[in-house]
Amino acid sequence: MQEAIDIALNVSLVTHLILIAFAVWRVWSGENAIDRLIAVDLTGTLILAVLVIITLREQQGLYLDVAMGLAALGFTATVLLGKYFADQRLS
Amino acid sequence: MELLIQILILVAVISGTLFSIVGVLGMLRLPDVYTRLHAVGKVSVFGVVLLLIAAKTLGAVDLGKSILLIIFLVIAGPTLTHSLAAAAYRMGIPVQRAVRNDLATRFPPPAPPEVQARLDGPEASTDQAKDGD
Repeated sequence: MQEAIDIALNVSLVTHLILIAFAVWRVWSGENAIDRLIAVDLTGTLILAVLVIITLREQQGLYLDVAMGLAALGFTATVLLGKYFADQRLS
Repeated sequence: MELLIQILILVAVISGTLFSIVGVLGMLRLPDVYTRLHAVGKVSVFGVVLLLIAAKTLGAVDLGKSILLIIFLVIAGPTLTHSLAAAAYRMGIPVQRAVRNDLATRFPPPAPPEVQARLDGPEASTDQAKDGD
């Protein structure tokens, strides 16, 4: 049963890396600014998922602290950039 | 009991990965910004949270830290989606294939920039001609 969990974690890690490649390609070829911004946020979320999978594989809680910082920074940056694109100002 | 916990971890990892795949597929295939936002919200709220539940069940991390991150993700995901959808509507990005748009009866959508430029085009040029005269 432990082998099945290891195989599932490896497959999940590789799948998420492929999905990150698709999301980055979408940042390159988006239709408008909000579309690209959604793709940037999706990339951040998938990197968060990769960090959680590495936590599961290596059995170390250190990666989860990195994931918390990344989640907070990505949330703030995306909300501020969306407001900036809509209003053309940051206040 | 040990087998039950391992089956729970396996199911959580597999379903979290499936939610991520569905979210990215929706990002690539859906027609406009609002439906893509709907698909991307699934990755944040279900994909990562199911993986975090697996991590907590495996005992790799503290209980408090994973609960804190789960609560943050569940609050931040809908906030982000709402903020980006409001920004897109205020920028005038059109809704594709909508059956009805209740928001347009109270707040009519602004025209997208190229349409607005085409509407303003002749008048702006005549104004400039008058100013030139």
